[in-house]
Amino acid sequence: MELNIRGIEKHFGEKEVLKDISLTAKSGAALGLLGRNGAGKTTTIRIVMGVFFPDKGEILYNGKPLDRKKVRIGYMPEERGLYPKKRIDEQLIYLAMLRGMNKADARQACDKWLDRMGMNEYKVKKLETLSKGNQQKIQLAATLMCDPQIIILDEPFSGLDPVNAMLLKDVIKEMIDGGAVVLFSSHQMNYIEEFCDSIAILNGGKIVLDGRITDIKHSYPRNKIAVTSSQIEQIAPFVLQYMSGEVLSAEPEKGVENTLLIRLQNPAAKTKLLQGLSDKGFDIDAFRVCEPSMNDIFVQYTEVGI
Amino acid sequence: MKHILQVLRFEYSGCVKTKSFIISTAIFMALILLMAFLPGIILSAMSSDQGGEPTGDEKKPVIAVCDNTYHEDELVKQQLALYYPNNDIKMTTEDIAALQDKVDSQEYAFAVVLNEPLSCTYITKNNSVFSTNNSQLTDALTKLYQVMQLEKAGVSPEDSLNIIHARMKMDTITTGTDQGQNYWSTYVLMMILYIAVVMYGQMVSQNVVAEKNTRAMEMLITCAKPTHLMFGKVIGSGLAGLTQMLLIISTALVSMNTVSKDSLPAQIKDMLSFPMQTVLFALVFFILGYFIYSFLLGALASLASRSEDLNTLISPVMMVYVAAFLVVMLAMSSDNLNGTLMIVCSYIPFTAPLAMFTRIAMSDVALWEILLSIAVQLASVYLFGRLAAAIYRIGVLMYGNAPKPAEIIKLLREQHRSNKALKAAAKQS
Repeated sequence: MELNIRGIEKHFGEKEVLKDISLTAKSGAALGLLGRNGAGKTTTIRIVMGVFFPDKGEILYNGKPLDRKKVRIGYMPEERGLYPKKRIDEQLIYLAMLRGMNKADARQACDKWLDRMGMNEYKVKKLETLSKGNQQKIQLAATLMCDPQIIILDEPFSGLDPVNAMLLKDVIKEMIDGGAVVLFSSHQMNYIEEFCDSIAILNGGKIVLDGRITDIKHSYPRNKIAVTSSQIEQIAPFVLQYMSGEVLSAEPEKGVENTLLIRLQNPAAKTKLLQGLSDKGFDIDAFRVCEPSMNDIFVQYTEVGI
Repeated sequence: MKHILQVLRFEYSGCVKTKSFIISTAIFMALILLMAFLPGIILSAMSSDQGGEPTGDEKKPVIAVCDNTYHEDELVKQQLALYYPNNDIKMTTEDIAALQDKVDSQEYAFAVVLNEPLSCTYITKNNSVFSTNNSQLTDALTKLYQVMQLEKAGVSPEDSLNIIHARMKMDTITTGTDQGQNYWSTYVLMMILYIAVVMYGQMVSQNVVAEKNTRAMEMLITCAKPTHLMFGKVIGSGLAGLTQMLLIISTALVSMNTVSKDSLPAQIKDMLSFPMQTVLFALVFFILGYFIYSFLLGALASLASRSEDLNTLISPVMMVYVAAFLVVMLAMSSDNLNGTLMIVCSYIPFTAPLAMFTRIAMSDVALWEILLSIAVQLASVYLFGRLAAAIYRIGVLMYGNAPKPAEIIKLLREQHRSNKALKAAAKQS
């Protein structure tokens, strides 16, 4: 199962908000939608949800135009959207029914999800009486109640404590494994790395980078090696001498203890480096290629343009 | 349609279950019951006051009369007693200064000196603005003069009293609508209509802003079409309003016909005796007026981001509504219900509910006029509904400053165009 966003364009008044956006999200894997504030993430999501009509382009589900009456979509907006002054069960059932469930099923789903979230005791409480993290859990229950085939989560982790974040992670992973198409938008890169196989970075209404995270990382030069050891003071002069001409620099990493950063002229020389270090009998804790972090990539692609 | 019903049910039960709704309904019902009981309570209290008087030894308040004109003590006393049955009339010859002292010390309730046949001096301690004593006394003394004059002409005092106190009894037969009879009942219904339309219309606008403010809209808008949300909300709140009105009106009817059946003063009974037909028309025009205004108020409310902005946005509509009310009130009080202005107002959607209702209730209006007015209003309900849904669609996801009218029109046009293009594309594929 697959969700295709194809060639979407949208403008509000004179302002062009989306320029030729194309994305593919597959079931069983989450797609991370990244971008700074105002990059067009929410507009893209709203077009998928059918709140806005695109000026151009189409949304396909399994190759056919997405029929929102037949395909169940769960959406969790960034700006949380529930009634603070209404009872939790009432509004959950109401939303599920608007999404096409009948009353009995909605009731059952409400109980099931409140139970799953550990929120059973709050069932008849008003939403506003709950803490922010608990409200968030209710919001997630509202999103998942209709057993969605497509799940769109906009900043699901903001405001959660680690325990609740863990619960949320488990639930989302379950849904991904269950075969749902998951679209995930967040500023918290660690969550993106944890959940998403692929990402798409939006900047100024355009997609500036998309693909599998591993592929993207591999596309960066892999000539930077980090060696962790208690003996880096001895290692540094050794490397410079042992591989002279092949090493550009060997300096301790700033702010990190016992880590030496070695930049090679040629990435393939890392095997020789590893060989030399082990032959010499250094006590090595870790030896790895320094990949750019998601943060670095994000900043690199979104620094300019808005 | 299913969505409209679901939204309707949710809005209705949401409205009816709120504390403010329950409390305001309860207060209204309690007030009505109080009003129903009150006349009875007051009357019984008053009669017990009067009942206590004759048995007690306390003296009745004394009215002193110094007669320098007629020198007919008995006749003067008799005449004044007709007007002041609860007072003792005392004839005296004291001078003005002495009378003033005694009135001031409240030995006398008041005193009057008859100087000449048509001139007297009235001595009282406090002369209240609301006191009717002045005119009562004038009346009594004028009648006294007339009796004296008639007596001089040879009419016996009894006959002259009868002649002077004779009163015409009039039966009225109206062939059209009797305005004198239904002025007050129409007035009451008109006020209820006016208040109900604006009260429930504002309730819709407040709900819309609250949904936007709490971002509940973000979820809703992805579950149902804006048109369905709008219609469900307006109809749901309207039904809640009707429920409240029915509760209040039935309380009034029941209490009027049971508790205060006998004790209610005739004037109030007149005010509250609505002809069935008029009530039905009030209901029809309430529904039409409510839809016209709540669609507009709801659409405008969707443009506000916070409840503080709401008043500014809806004030033009509210001004039009108040103007409509004033026009109708003016026409009612100046008895000009079928003037050109009122006839025009009966066909303008903003003024029609109040204007046409008042004309129907208080004058003769041809059936085609009523039907035309209702048709105009139905058409505008449809148009305003569609317009409101379109504005709502734009407004609900727009935060920050409310857009200017020109911007709204531009956005509406754009939306219309893209909808058209989309429909055309759908047809092609």
